[in-house]
Amino acid sequence: MKKIDWLFMIALFALIGIGIMLVYSATSNTELVWHKTEWFKQITHFAAGFAIAAVVILLPAKFWKNIAWVTYAISIITLFLVIDFGHVSKGAGRWLEIGGFRFQPSEFAKIAYLLTSSLWLSKHSVSIERPKTLLVPALLFIVPFALVLKQPNLGTSLVFVAITLVHFYWAGFRLVDLFLLVSPVASVILSATSALYWSLLIICVFFTSIKFKFPIWIIATVMILGIGAGYVSQMAWNTMAEHQKSRILTFIDPTRDPKGEGYQVIQSQIAIGSGGMFGKGFGEGSQTNLAFLPEEHTDFIFSVLGEQFGFVGASVVLVLFFVLLWRSIMICRLHSDKFANLVVAGSCAIFFFHIFVNIAMTVGFMPVTGLPLPFLSYGGSFVLTCMILVGLLVNMRLKGGDIK
Amino acid sequence: MLSQLERSEDNRQEINLKSLVFICAVIIAFIVLILRLLQLQYFEHEVNFKRAEENRIRKINIKANRGYILDRNGVVLVRNRPSYQISLLYSQLKSREDRDSVFNRLLRITDTEGKRLLDSSALAFSFERGRWQRFRFQRLIEDASQEIVALFEERSEELPGIEILVESRRDYPFGSQGGHIFGYTSEISEQELKLPQNEHYVMGDRIGKKGLEFTYEREFRGENGLKFVEVNALGREIRTMTEMPSIKAISGNSIVTTIDWNLQQIAETSIPEDFKGAVVALNPQNGEIYAMVSKPSLDPNIFSLEKRELHRAWASVALDTAKPLTNRAISGLYPPGSVFKVITAAAGLENNVFTEHSRYKTPCLGGFRFGNRYARCWHAGGHGTLNILDALKVSCNVFFYQAGLDIGNRRIGEMARKFGYGAALGVDIPGERFGTVIDSASYEKWFERRGWKWSRGEILNISVGQGAITVTPLQQTAMVGALATGNGLYKPHFLKRVTSPDGKVLKEYKPEKISDGALSESTRKAVLKGLDLAVNAPGGTARRAIVPGIRVGGKTGSAENPHGDKTHAWFVAVAPLEEPVIAVGVVLENAGGGGAMAAPIAQKILNAYFHPNSSQAAK
Repeated sequence: MKKIDWLFMIALFALIGIGIMLVYSATSNTELVWHKTEWFKQITHFAAGFAIAAVVILLPAKFWKNIAWVTYAISIITLFLVIDFGHVSKGAGRWLEIGGFRFQPSEFAKIAYLLTSSLWLSKHSVSIERPKTLLVPALLFIVPFALVLKQPNLGTSLVFVAITLVHFYWAGFRLVDLFLLVSPVASVILSATSALYWSLLIICVFFTSIKFKFPIWIIATVMILGIGAGYVSQMAWNTMAEHQKSRILTFIDPTRDPKGEGYQVIQSQIAIGSGGMFGKGFGEGSQTNLAFLPEEHTDFIFSVLGEQFGFVGASVVLVLFFVLLWRSIMICRLHSDKFANLVVAGSCAIFFFHIFVNIAMTVGFMPVTGLPLPFLSYGGSFVLTCMILVGLLVNMRLKGGDIK
Repeated sequence: MLSQLERSEDNRQEINLKSLVFICAVIIAFIVLILRLLQLQYFEHEVNFKRAEENRIRKINIKANRGYILDRNGVVLVRNRPSYQISLLYSQLKSREDRDSVFNRLLRITDTEGKRLLDSSALAFSFERGRWQRFRFQRLIEDASQEIVALFEERSEELPGIEILVESRRDYPFGSQGGHIFGYTSEISEQELKLPQNEHYVMGDRIGKKGLEFTYEREFRGENGLKFVEVNALGREIRTMTEMPSIKAISGNSIVTTIDWNLQQIAETSIPEDFKGAVVALNPQNGEIYAMVSKPSLDPNIFSLEKRELHRAWASVALDTAKPLTNRAISGLYPPGSVFKVITAAAGLENNVFTEHSRYKTPCLGGFRFGNRYARCWHAGGHGTLNILDALKVSCNVFFYQAGLDIGNRRIGEMARKFGYGAALGVDIPGERFGTVIDSASYEKWFERRGWKWSRGEILNISVGQGAITVTPLQQTAMVGALATGNGLYKPHFLKRVTSPDGKVLKEYKPEKISDGALSESTRKAVLKGLDLAVNAPGGTARRAIVPGIRVGGKTGSAENPHGDKTHAWFVAVAPLEEPVIAVGVVLENAGGGGAMAAPIAQKILNAYFHPNSSQAAK
């Protein structure tokens, strides 16, 4: 049982290798000496990442339980710092510089929140019928979520939502509970787009809650929240900044703005589509090489893949991602320790959310959210986050059984 | 116990189920993505492929316009000109036939005299590089002339992949005039790129290397921009993609200098052909430099030339024994000659070694005996007995030999340092040297290898500005200016103000006093009287510096030096003596006497300064 999961390892190394290759291909056009190039820096990111992952694996699983609150406190402080002293890049203050080393506090907040939420929920189960049980988890969630949203970094803040939903599911919620939980949020979004969908949602919520025999006060609360949120959102809308509005609007409807951010998505689709079944070959993409995308080595790395290696290459990567997620979630079946299971489920939620949102963005299902693709996208902080998560997964697999 | 086990078993099953739900969600999501990929890459492949082929979007780096250099009245002294680069974009050549035909056509292109523009080995090298860097422009002809650009424009139909790029290069419309002040720019080197302060530069950027171009690089540089353009099949820009993010290039700031271009030109032309030397004119009240000339001159335009021509031009200036690259006004070290007698005089008066009226008993009979040495005066006939004023007027060595011995080397050195000798003045162009003001200890250290020992006899040399003392023309001019105004020594500078591209004033230079140059009023008056006599009294050494209507004070010098038979001709002047607003210093290497050779040049500059209209008419 404690053996290394070779399937997981093969998928991981294959993805990292492909990622470095793609970063090389996407950036080989720049005029830099080799040790300044992105692909070489990406290799050093992964080297550092593996070192950290090794440390994470070697520490006892209980250590992560003990350190959870500390990491949470640190990440909240750094998120506060970034509001004031953030290095503003592209209009969003997300970076913090300590001793010449730049990092994104929001990246490490993901891990801190994952550990803390796991710790709390491993001791307390949650139920929608006992709202008191939701109080602390909701508080744990809302602080980092709000701070990241304020940066503003909508994409990353939604990662916290993904962790929370999966954690609640693991800690006692049913799917229908989750549906009722998110229904007010869905109401906010739908009320802005279409009155028809919005009323359909409200009706759906009503009948579902009747069908599952929820107590009357829950039905009443959910209905009031659902309808109220719809109205409040209209009022809040008028106080928002222009770029926030446009982000949210395109988030609902990517084709709304074909000339702005939608343009990048369209170009990305052309790049992927022009790759065909087998792609144009390594380094041969005219779309990516003529640099039509400003973020091709970070957020749009998947279009480089699609153009140069085609449907086959893209599918292989998707299969590798699937293997990674499958082998990871199966760790839950090995142990009965709740903390270990929550950490595993939360890590999987982070990976899955990143993978799906990023690829959906490049194929034109979603607007540009700025979420990178794990193991493939260029970026120091994000590589480290991913490798820490990998370390946690392996750690829980090997030692999750002996936490008590 | 049992119930606990049961609960844990329940929990197990619940988690197993939930894992399954999670993995099902992953599978559904991935199937959606794969279907979308299939749609894009299989069913819509043809359409997308065609759109990608027709997609002619280029990322263009926009180099920021470099800021201008202007004179104090707004005359543009340094600007930019467009420079055309004939370049190859290999990725545009899709087939082997295309490549061969373009290669051969390029070889056949000849200029009007029938000479080939490109030789086959260089062209083959560019094509080879293009194979590896398919999406990067390979420069075939750098800084092409209008005629060559026209040749390629005519043939653009038959030369796919050949594009004409425009970049901006530095243009110095007045050629070599002011070249030493402006300096030049050249492509940033790899070593420079590695420096932390140059992190904003990329390969191929140009950076200021000397002069004002170097000092105010940060102001001139601006910020490079970025845009996406759509090009047609021939690579011509059709339109800018307004829907793509673009970064506007921010033009660099311009510098309004303190230079008075009229004076600068007069200074440039007044130095006789084939002479080496330097001229400085500045305002002693605040340190503003009006003109600075160093001969032989240097034309900074050569650094904007195409590489081969640049190398040729560079070799000729770098190997020239006359050293045209050196800015003699700040980097040339000369013995100050008799001009230094001003310092000796001031030191003597200030320390009450003698007064305005006291005379030395030993008359000048053409020389002075000191121990077993006989030190000559420049006038073999002798000057007789003199007071300090007459000694300055006729520049009598014998007077100053005796004065120097009485004052002592330490007090002369103090006075010299007070007026900027022996230390950098801090002028805002690089390369300033600061010469030596020597005391007995450093003298022995200095000449240790030659085994020379300090002796009192050395004071004889120093008191008349010979021997182990050296200065730059800038120091010499600043000294006489500060001494004449009595307001202290101001840092000589070229920067008047920095203006943004739209003409807004960003920074105004504040004059900076580097030494208070305190001197008692009687000393200053006496020295000025001496300078007045030298120019305006019959028998003065600097009669050729007279400017009608203005009282000019001056001091000549004829510095002996080991580099030639003839002396270096020195002349420094201030005017008007009542309230000096301009100081001029001139040195001509191995030209002879200062009064005969250097004073007329200063006279021309002073005349132009005080009578600008008449001098323009004369020109």
